[in-house]
Amino acid sequence: MPTALPLPVQLAWLIPIYGFLGVGLSLPWACGWFRLTGPRPAAYLNILVTMLAFLHGSLLMVIVLRDGSYSLSHDWFQTADLQLRLSFELSPTSLASLELVTGLSLLAQVFALGYLDKEWSLARFYALVGFFEGAMAGVVLSSSLFLTYFLLEMLTLSTYLLVGFWYAQPLVVTAARDAFLTKRVGDVLLLMGVVALSAWAGVMTFEDLYSWVPQAGLSPLAGNLLGLGLIAGPLGKCAQFPMHLWLDEAMEGPNPASILRNSVVVTCGALVLLRLMPILQLSPLSLAVLVALGSITAVGGSLVAIAQADIKRTLSYTTSAYMGLVFVAIALQLPAIALLLLFAHAVAKALLFMSVGSVIATTNCQDLSELGGMGSRMPATTLAFLVGGAGCTALVPLGCFWAFALTVEALGRTAPALAAIVLITNSLTLVNLTRVFRLVFLGPSQPKTRRAPEANWSMAVPMVALTVLVLVTPWIMARIDPVPGLASFSPQVLGWLILSSVLGLVIGSRIPLHKAWSRPIQSYWRVVQDLLAFDFYTDRIYRVTIVALVANLAMAIDWFDRRVVDGLVNRLGRLSLASAEGLRLGVSGQMQTYVLTGVVAIVLLLTSMSWLVR
Amino acid sequence: MLSALLLIPLVGALLLLVWPGDPESQRWRWATLALLGLQLFWSLAVLLRFDPAIGGAQLLEVAPWVGTLGLEYRLGVDGLSLPLVLINGVLSFVAVAVTAADTSRPRLYHALLLLISGAVNGAFLAQNTLLFFLFYELELIPLWLLIAIWGGRNRAYAATKFLIFTALSGMLILGAFFGLALATGSADFSFNPLLAQDVGLGVQLLLLGALLVGFGIKIPLVPFHTWLPDAHTEASTPVSVLLAGVLLKLGTYGLLRFCLGLFPEAWGVMAPWLAGWAALSVLFGSLAAIQQQDMKRMVAYSSVGHMGYVLLAAAAATPVSLQGALFQMISHGLISALLFLLVGVVYSATGTRDMNVLRGLLNPQRGLPLTGSLMVVGVMASAGIPGMAGFVAEFLVFRGSLVAFPLQTLLCMVGSGLTAVYFLLLVNRAFFGRLDTPPTTQQVVLPSIPLGHQIPAMALAVAILAIGLLPQGLGSLMERSSFALTLPPRVIAASLDSAISSATTTPAIRLEQG
Repeated sequence: MPTALPLPVQLAWLIPIYGFLGVGLSLPWACGWFRLTGPRPAAYLNILVTMLAFLHGSLLMVIVLRDGSYSLSHDWFQTADLQLRLSFELSPTSLASLELVTGLSLLAQVFALGYLDKEWSLARFYALVGFFEGAMAGVVLSSSLFLTYFLLEMLTLSTYLLVGFWYAQPLVVTAARDAFLTKRVGDVLLLMGVVALSAWAGVMTFEDLYSWVPQAGLSPLAGNLLGLGLIAGPLGKCAQFPMHLWLDEAMEGPNPASILRNSVVVTCGALVLLRLMPILQLSPLSLAVLVALGSITAVGGSLVAIAQADIKRTLSYTTSAYMGLVFVAIALQLPAIALLLLFAHAVAKALLFMSVGSVIATTNCQDLSELGGMGSRMPATTLAFLVGGAGCTALVPLGCFWAFALTVEALGRTAPALAAIVLITNSLTLVNLTRVFRLVFLGPSQPKTRRAPEANWSMAVPMVALTVLVLVTPWIMARIDPVPGLASFSPQVLGWLILSSVLGLVIGSRIPLHKAWSRPIQSYWRVVQDLLAFDFYTDRIYRVTIVALVANLAMAIDWFDRRVVDGLVNRLGRLSLASAEGLRLGVSGQMQTYVLTGVVAIVLLLTSMSWLVR
Repeated sequence: MLSALLLIPLVGALLLLVWPGDPESQRWRWATLALLGLQLFWSLAVLLRFDPAIGGAQLLEVAPWVGTLGLEYRLGVDGLSLPLVLINGVLSFVAVAVTAADTSRPRLYHALLLLISGAVNGAFLAQNTLLFFLFYELELIPLWLLIAIWGGRNRAYAATKFLIFTALSGMLILGAFFGLALATGSADFSFNPLLAQDVGLGVQLLLLGALLVGFGIKIPLVPFHTWLPDAHTEASTPVSVLLAGVLLKLGTYGLLRFCLGLFPEAWGVMAPWLAGWAALSVLFGSLAAIQQQDMKRMVAYSSVGHMGYVLLAAAAATPVSLQGALFQMISHGLISALLFLLVGVVYSATGTRDMNVLRGLLNPQRGLPLTGSLMVVGVMASAGIPGMAGFVAEFLVFRGSLVAFPLQTLLCMVGSGLTAVYFLLLVNRAFFGRLDTPPTTQQVVLPSIPLGHQIPAMALAVAILAIGLLPQGLGSLMERSSFALTLPPRVIAASLDSAISSATTTPAIRLEQG
């Protein structure tokens, strides 16, 4: 290296460590060794290290914008032809993602101070969030597939632990299990892809893999299997059909973790897919699968969201839906649009979840049918919901407006069907957000919302800060990566976009929302409602397919093991005992018979072995 | 230098048995701890003297014994045996440290533990097949006694089963060693890979088959595994720790050292079948584990599954996969020891290991929160989550084996996914949920475990994390010796040609032979 790197760059490897350090710092309180202070110090320490990570990232951003990208690499493990290195890339894009991760993590942690105020295992929560954040910070900076996989799995583990935070509740137990297993299925498939790439290409950094792809010369079958394996990990992480159920169930976890999960965790998954995109050129099939699953999730998720009665779950389905759009964009080689959509969605969705979190914290209720009339009581929360909702959709020119307009512009001619899916998703999301807004913030007060005060300051401050952030997203986007002005879009595109938004808004504000009596009378509407409310019965489909398969196989193997394998052993044992009992009676007591038996046995043994020595 | 690793525990055991004093006194425990501490210290000293740049055995100690038989006292250590000797030192120490203070007949108990530790060291250090066999058998009797005397309710059945299975294993192994001598016509029992070169392939296959079944019982591989769950369920916690952590490794050690090391040619012929056998063993063990209700049986079946990876890696016999096999032996030793320790804590605190009964053990006030947290660590390590030892091992095994046997490797990876299923069931059922679920009517208050009793488990967890985060040190320790086991190029080429697609490079072939 000719010149010494600037110190912040040299120390860039510290960034994921900050989060993990938070885990270590929280341990004494999480384990209950320091009881006198209460768990708060752990929270402050974690917020401090997250702030450090954020500041370090900002410093790097300044340096990188001045000097250009850096890449760093550290040896980790080396044997024979296998070289595993931990490589990081410091580019404007990766650092912007890092700022997103650490910034939102910081806001969510401050938010958690208020939300989990009375939670006595606060320290454990912060330890887990630190773990979560460290893994995510690593994923966005990583430039090696191995390191990415390494950290994605850690993310899976921390999701499991965070979802299972309130482990004494039965729903949480199944939710944590499903979150882990679903992601694990994706991860194992991804591991197959990673191992295959490592064996075939012999290199692990994305750059090297990209240059390997043109000369890979894999058979179509191998290429397609590889591609499918690689996309499985992000599919699970981003809760795409058919691996989407966990995100819905994960809403049983504490809300501050849901903020992160619905904004930056899914973003991490999509960023990994973005990194893998050039490698997926080996497998046209996997690209087709991505488009298909992305479209299904986008439309299906938006529809299912409309039928949910739980305020968090209804939002989580829209997250899946938006990730579906991102996947479609990635599969169609529109990385810039995918990134834009990811970022715009992440901040807006985080804000929506904060707003919802403050409603839940105030009312202790997340059932839509028991909320109402909060608008006049919680102005900041209401504003946050409105801004978040606007940022998520193409109603006004905030973040997602540009992303949608660019997508429709890009796809309008070549793939009108996919452009239509974007518009439909936009409409359906607006229908749903309008519905939720009406149910929660408008209408008469309900028993649980009558005395609802505005959220306390530690929730309000991050919420308002994020509201401002969402409002200035277009300006930030213009700073990072110049986006075209509104005038540059063709009138048709703008027309369709506005039409879809208005349509969604109108339908959303017209549909009847009777709280006590929300079941339709007509049987066909009931069928549709149930179908959507129960998420197309996905959990039942799981139960009769994969779960039943594994359970029955396990039962069969267990039976075989006990009856046949072990049974044989036991029967042999009993047989030898019984034969000894029987033979005992055949003993004559004459010397000659003993000698004869011995001789015969020796002759038999020797003849059977004589062929050995030739 | 190496003889001390035998003398300390073996002479110690003898002294313990003959030293005058109250046989029920707690002194025996402290004396054993001191002896095992000394042994561990000594094995660390060996580690310092060890030169990882040498592929073959080093620090040799030779003395003639029964020359006419070909039995020679010949000790040596290489990268294959040194980590196992170290792990034996650590886990023997841990086993004594976690032994309950009220164990009956402490003098005999501790003497037997010392005997096992010494015999295992001997088996790993022996550089003569007959000497290896001697120690291999020597470890059986004390273990049998440990299960039969200090075991659970059904101990007689389990102990007898264990004894018969392993005695059979010993006979097959000895038969194969003698058969090799018979076939070559020389009483050379040294570890010489060229020994079997001039023997016909048919005879090689027969001898290899005998060895495979012999070590397959010990490892254990399906269908020779049924002794293991029974032995584990009946054995006390320290014995389970030793059995899973160290004694099973005798089987995999034998697999690498003798099956692969002495019969490379026959091994190359059988490799695809062995890889298939490995996949079967992995899937069988994992699926059977899902169905278990007893925590100890579940961990025992997980051992069956995880040992299958070693066979897969050995079958592929590429440099990376063999490295993976060694890593897997070490990581499984540590992880299963940790899991058995924790299950033992649960059992002693609650009186049951039945997952239909246990609930909500993570309860911070009245449950076992630290045990539960460590259990999550152990379970995740076993499931191959990165950052812990299991991941490094699995990644190396899969990465090394995929080129040689793609299908079998993928099946084994499915097994790795199943590990997550059954261990998650364990954590979710026993540790999550509420402590007071319906069958119990009054509030459950479990005895709190003193922090001191958790130190061994915490130390193991730290070791698992350390290997998982910084594997290079252990890797370079074992590298040379594992490369020396790599199959000769022609054997690999023959088995690879059919297996891999044309475009892929074959790293194994490029590697020079030591």
